[in-house]
Amino acid sequence: MRAGIASGWRLAAVFGAFALLCHAGAARAEDAGSWKEIETKYIFGFTTGSGIGIEGEKEFTVDSIGRSGKRDGHYAATETKYEYEFTPSQFIQIEFGALGSTHNIGGVTDLDSRNAAAFVGGFAEFRYLAIERTSNNPFSVTLAFEPNVRLIDETSGEHVHNYEFETTVNADVELLRNRLYAGFDLLYEPEATWTATEDTIREATLGGSAALSLRITPGVLVGAEAWYLRHYDSPTLSDFTGDAIMLGPTLYVQFTPKMFMIAAWNSQVWGREVGNSLLLNLSEFQRNRARLKFAWEF
Amino acid sequence: MFYHMLTPIRLTLAAGCAVSLLHAAPALAQQAAEVHLTYSNGAFQPSEVRAPADRPVVFRVKNLDGKAMEFESKSLRVEKVVAAKSEGVINVRPLKSGRYEFYDDFNEKARGVLTVQ
Repeated sequence: MRAGIASGWRLAAVFGAFALLCHAGAARAEDAGSWKEIETKYIFGFTTGSGIGIEGEKEFTVDSIGRSGKRDGHYAATETKYEYEFTPSQFIQIEFGALGSTHNIGGVTDLDSRNAAAFVGGFAEFRYLAIERTSNNPFSVTLAFEPNVRLIDETSGEHVHNYEFETTVNADVELLRNRLYAGFDLLYEPEATWTATEDTIREATLGGSAALSLRITPGVLVGAEAWYLRHYDSPTLSDFTGDAIMLGPTLYVQFTPKMFMIAAWNSQVWGREVGNSLLLNLSEFQRNRARLKFAWEF
Repeated sequence: MFYHMLTPIRLTLAAGCAVSLLHAAPALAQQAAEVHLTYSNGAFQPSEVRAPADRPVVFRVKNLDGKAMEFESKSLRVEKVVAAKSEGVINVRPLKSGRYEFYDDFNEKARGVLTVQ
């Protein structure tokens, strides 16, 4: 636990140092008022901002999320989205793509040991800009719906048929013009899974996040975010099983006008499982998660 | 299995098209305000333009330079590459009052502002 938090802060320090080194020279002579506006969708780490891109823009991204740390044994898993994203109108963004995963699990209670990489399935996302930011209104809101189909279970790596429907509200506010942004997400993610042994599992995750991101140079933002997540063994939220709080640093770097990356790290700092007095919730969530995404616009 | 995987993707695309049409219909019914810009020597002329609120805006950008430029704006949510010695037409939704920046994405220094009132 302490090791997880400590490594998170070490990573934050590395993020900060890297960001400063990248653009320290360029920042000196400029003031934020003269910087170009920035797309807010990806500046908050795991929290998604309200941006939907610009009409006609197309983007290819590789977005990897790694998760590690269970109660015992060793657990490391990744899921990568190979994603095509486009903005057909000034209010809509559509994304779709394929999913791949890796699982390296050994000696974890209730999980079979495995070391495997696999094609997982596919996803699509529809984003609608409901409230747009203007120079008179710093607040912006986007509604997003993301159906996912998986043939490999995200946590265990077992063969399954899993259908997930992620629904989010992505909001952000420009606190200081071109400089400081706050982001907020609300998440409702029902899913149904049919296992190889013909069992049916219905569950849901509910959550919310808050993030701050500071633009330290025109192309670099650093920040931090907090997530509160609740898990239910029912899509109607009637069977609560546990919750967790995750905290961590975020980094966004725009390399060129058409290429950027994001990195984020979250550690679980508090959690509980129903019927279990142990610290943290490591049944439904993980000790740490990390995100690394590279995007190319064209 | 692949049929199941494609269904949510088809639904998402259909929903996207439906909402796009809903947004497009009222915009088409209103007469657009035209904004004329020229781009020469790496700068917009004029660099500050105005348009009425709640009406669609059409930018007509004449690129007089010998190389392509990309008219772009995050707040207007549009981009268009305008070839050398040619004109680009950019359609923008009805806008709320405010200040909207635009620029040439190929040239950091070329900037302009649309004020909507």
